[in-house]
Amino acid sequence: MGQQIVNGLFLGSIYALFALGYTLVFGVLDILNLAHQAVFMICAYVALVLVVHLHMPMFAALPVAVLAGGLMGIVVDRVAFKPLRGRSDSNIAGLISSIALATILEAAVLQVFGPDVERFPFGAVPTRSLKIGGAVVSELQIVIIAIALAMLLGLTWLLRRTRLGRRIRAVAESPKAARVLGVDVDRVIAASFFLSSALGAAAGVLFGLAFNNVAPDMGRSVELKGLAVIVLGGMGSMPGAALAGLALGLLEVFTVAWIGSSYRDAVAFGVLFLVLVLRPRGLLGSAALREA
Amino acid sequence: MSLESLQDLWLTYQSTVAFIGLNGLLALSVYTTLSCGQLSLAQAAFMAIGAYASAILTFHTQAPFAVNLAVATLAPALVAIPLGLPVLRLKGVFLAIATIGFGEVVRIFFVNLDFTNGALGLTAVPQRTSVWMIYAALAGALFVLWRIRGSRVGYALEAIREDEPAARTMGIHAARYKLAMLALGASFAGLAGALEAHYTFMVAPGTYSFTRVVDMLVYAVVGGTSVFYGPVVGATFLTALPEVLREISSRVGLAPGPLRLFVNGVVLLLVILFLPEGISSLPRRVRAWLRARREAHAA
Amino acid sequence: MFPTVRFLAAAALALLAVPTLSVAETVKIGAAFSLTGNAAAYGAQQKHGVQAAIDDVNKSGKLKGVTLELVLEDDGTSKEQGIAVFQRFINRDKVSAIIGPTLSTTATAADPIAQQGKTPVVAVSNTAAKGITDIGDYVWRVSLTEAQVIPSALKVAQAKIGFKNAAILYGNDDVFTKGGFDVMKASLEAAGIPIVDIQTFATKDRDFNAQLTALKAKNPDFLMVSALVEQAAAIVSQARQLGWNVPIMGGNGFNSPKLMANAGPAAEGVMVGTAWNKASADPANQAFIAGQKARGNDPDQFCAQAYTGVLVIADAIAQAGMKGGRDDIKAGFLKVKDLSTPLGKFSFLPSRDGSHAAAVQVVKGGKFEILQ
Repeated sequence: MGQQIVNGLFLGSIYALFALGYTLVFGVLDILNLAHQAVFMICAYVALVLVVHLHMPMFAALPVAVLAGGLMGIVVDRVAFKPLRGRSDSNIAGLISSIALATILEAAVLQVFGPDVERFPFGAVPTRSLKIGGAVVSELQIVIIAIALAMLLGLTWLLRRTRLGRRIRAVAESPKAARVLGVDVDRVIAASFFLSSALGAAAGVLFGLAFNNVAPDMGRSVELKGLAVIVLGGMGSMPGAALAGLALGLLEVFTVAWIGSSYRDAVAFGVLFLVLVLRPRGLLGSAALREA
Repeated sequence: MSLESLQDLWLTYQSTVAFIGLNGLLALSVYTTLSCGQLSLAQAAFMAIGAYASAILTFHTQAPFAVNLAVATLAPALVAIPLGLPVLRLKGVFLAIATIGFGEVVRIFFVNLDFTNGALGLTAVPQRTSVWMIYAALAGALFVLWRIRGSRVGYALEAIREDEPAARTMGIHAARYKLAMLALGASFAGLAGALEAHYTFMVAPGTYSFTRVVDMLVYAVVGGTSVFYGPVVGATFLTALPEVLREISSRVGLAPGPLRLFVNGVVLLLVILFLPEGISSLPRRVRAWLRARREAHAA
Repeated sequence: MFPTVRFLAAAALALLAVPTLSVAETVKIGAAFSLTGNAAAYGAQQKHGVQAAIDDVNKSGKLKGVTLELVLEDDGTSKEQGIAVFQRFINRDKVSAIIGPTLSTTATAADPIAQQGKTPVVAVSNTAAKGITDIGDYVWRVSLTEAQVIPSALKVAQAKIGFKNAAILYGNDDVFTKGGFDVMKASLEAAGIPIVDIQTFATKDRDFNAQLTALKAKNPDFLMVSALVEQAAAIVSQARQLGWNVPIMGGNGFNSPKLMANAGPAAEGVMVGTAWNKASADPANQAFIAGQKARGNDPDQFCAQAYTGVLVIADAIAQAGMKGGRDDIKAGFLKVKDLSTPLGKFSFLPSRDGSHAAAVQVVKGGKFEILQ
C-alpha cells in the first residue's frame, strides 16, 4: 500500500510538472499549446546529447536543457501563435498551428535520432534505493520529486512576488486592460512561453531519467493525460495543476491496485469528462471563464 | 496506353482513390460541427462505433450490406445525442477537450471488449465496399451539406458560428442546431468507419485514436472550412501528398517517413498562418489578386 | 524488292530469337517494412536483413541466370500505406514476391491484396497465430508464431527453475502483445500452472510501477511479460528497482539487444523464447552475423528472419528450375526442405507456416545465451 502511494506521488509529480507549463500558457492566452509535448520530448534529447556526447554531468545538463526549452518556447510563440493574435478564430487556429509545429519537430527528431528508444547512460544518475516503511524509494525518485516541488514553489514565488509575475497575471486577466496600463503584452506572452516551456523541458528530462526512456513519441503518452490534469486542476491555476497532477497520479495507481490495470487510462479520461460536464472550472479554477 | 496498363494503373492507385473518398467523408464529419463554431474531436469514436456495429452485423447476421451501412450511420448519431446534451454547453477548447476524453474512453472500451477480441479486433472482414460506394456516400454527404447551406438552417448555423449569444437573442435555438450538427457529423463518421472496415478487411481499436481525429481536423482545416466542399479538397490533397512524396523521397534518398511527417506539418503550418480559409480559397484569392493587378495596371 | 523482303524477314526472325539468348533474368522482390511509425525499430533491422540477403544471393551465384532486385518501401506502420504499397508492388513494379509487412495488423489488411493479386507474400515478422496464413495460399510465413515458441520455452524454464505459480503482465491495446498474452495464458493453463494475477498496460505507458507493485503483492514465482521492446526494458528495470527479483520470461518483443542496452544490469537473468539463436555455431548463422557486422549493424531476430525470407524465396526459385514468376515461386515454396538459414534448418508446414527449431535464451553478462 505504501509502495503504491510512493508510485502515485512519483508519477503525479511528473504529471504536475508537465501540466504546470500547459496551464500557464492557457491561463495567459486561453490557448492550448499542443507543441508543449514536443518541447518536452526535444529537451529530453538535448539533455541526452549533452550527457552522452559532451560528457556533461547530469546536474549541469538539466539546467542547460531547461534553458533550451525556454528558448524553444519563445520560438513556438513566434512561429505558431504570434501571427495569429487578433484573428477571430485564434483559439482553434492556435491549436492547429501548434499541432503542426509539434509534427514538424517530431519529424526532425525522427530523422536525426531514429525511432529507437534511448536512455541516459548508467553512470549518469544515482541508482541506490532506500526502504521507507514497507516501500522502496529510489534516490532518483526523491530527487525528481524534490525538483518538481522546487519548480512549483519557484513558479509560485515568481508569479506572486515579482514584477514579471504581476504583469503575467495582468495579461491573463485581460490583455486589453494590461495594454492600456502600459504593459508590453507581446513580451509578457513571450516570457510566459519561456517559463512554460522551461517547465515542460524539465518535465521531459526528468521523465526520461525516471523511466529510462527517451524516444520521439514520448510526449504522446503524457500529452492527453496532461489535458486531464489541467482540466481537473482548473485551467490557468498553477496550484490546481500541481494538486491535480498528484491526484491523477494517485488515482491511476490505485485504479490499478484496486480495480484493474485495464481501466487505468479510462479512469483518467472519465474523470476529465466528468469534471468538464459537472464542474468545468475544475478544483481550483476561477469561476469566470473568459469569453471564447 | 494499353488497356492492360490502364487497368494496372487503376489497381496500383485504387486504394489511394478509396482513401481519398473515405478521408473526405471523415473530414466532412469534423466540418459539420465546425460550421456552427464547435470543435468536436469525438469523430474517431463515432467512426469506431459505426465500424464495429457493421462488422458485427456482417459476422453474426445475413443482413445485406445496405442494412449494415444504415445501422452504422444511425448508431453513432444515437450516441451523439446523450453525449452532446451535457457537452455542447461548454465553450471552445473545453468542448474539444471533453470530446477528446470521450474519444479515448470509447477507444479503451473497445480495447477491453472481449466480444470483439479487444485489441486484436475483428479480422478477415469480407471486402464488401467498392470504391463507387465510397464516392456515393461522399456525394450524399456533400449533397446534404449543400442543401443545408442555402437554407434557413444554414443561416442559423452561420449566425451561431459568428456570434452565439447574439443568435440566441434572435430566437435561434442554438442548442438544438448544435446537437443536430453533432449527430450529423457522427453519422458521417460512422458510415465512413463501416465502409473502411469492409475495405481494409479489419476493425481494430488502434485505428480510432486521437491521432486519427487530429488528421481529420487537419484535412478540414487545410481544405478550408468556409465552404462545405473545402474539407474534401483538404482530404484529397493530404491523402495524395504522401504518395507523391513517396515518389520524390525514393529518388532523393531521404528517409520517407520523417519527410512525409515533416511536409504534412509544414503544409499545415503554412496554411493556417497564410491561407486561413484553406486551399479551397486559393482560386478565389488568385482571381482577386489578378484582378487587383489588372486594375493597378489600368490606373 | 523480293530480296529486301526476304532480308527483312530474316532480320525479324533473328530479332525474335534474341530473347532466348537472354542475359540474366531479373526477379523483383518487393519488401514492405515499417521504416517509420511505431514499428520503425523493427523495420530498420529488417531492411538490413533483406539488403544483405539480396547481395549475398546475387554474389553467390546460386541462382544461375537470375538476378534478384530489391524494391524497398515503407509501410509506415499503417494499414492504409501497407495496402497502397502492396498495390504498387503488384500492379506497377510487378514484383514476383513480397516480403513483409512488419506488423501482423498491417498484414491482416495488406496480405489479402496479394492473395487477390496472386502474388506470393512471405511474412517474416508476423507472429499472430490466426489471420495470416489463413488468408490464402499465396501467404507464407517464415516467422514462428508465439504459439510455436512460448510453450516449449515455458517447458525449459519450468525444468530449470521449477516454479509453482505464475503471473502475467501484458500490453492489452496492441495486436502483437495481446496475441502473445493469449498464448502465454493458454500455455500456463495447459501446463497446469495456476495464474495468480494478470495485469495490463497500454502501449504508450512508460510507468509500470503500479502494476508491478500489485503483481509483487501476490507473490508469484514466475512472471511472464508480453511487451514490445520499448516497454520491456522499462518493465524489467522498474521491477528490479522495486526490489523484486522474480524470474521473468518475455515474449518475442524482448528479442532485441535493445533490451540489454536500455535495462542494463536489470536485464540479467531474463529469459526469452526465440526463433533465432544468435549464439548458434551453425556456419550459416555465423556468416550472416559477420556480414551484418561488416555493414555496421548488430543484428536481431527481425534481421535474421528478414534475411531468411529472401533465402527462402531464392530457394523456391531454384526449386522451380530457376524460374522467377509468381506461381513458380509459390510452387517452389512447397519444395523448400531443411534449407540452411541463420534460423536453422527451415521448412514450410502444410499450413504454410514456418518450421525450424526454436530456442530459449537467457541474458548473461549483457548478452543472450542459450538456456540449457
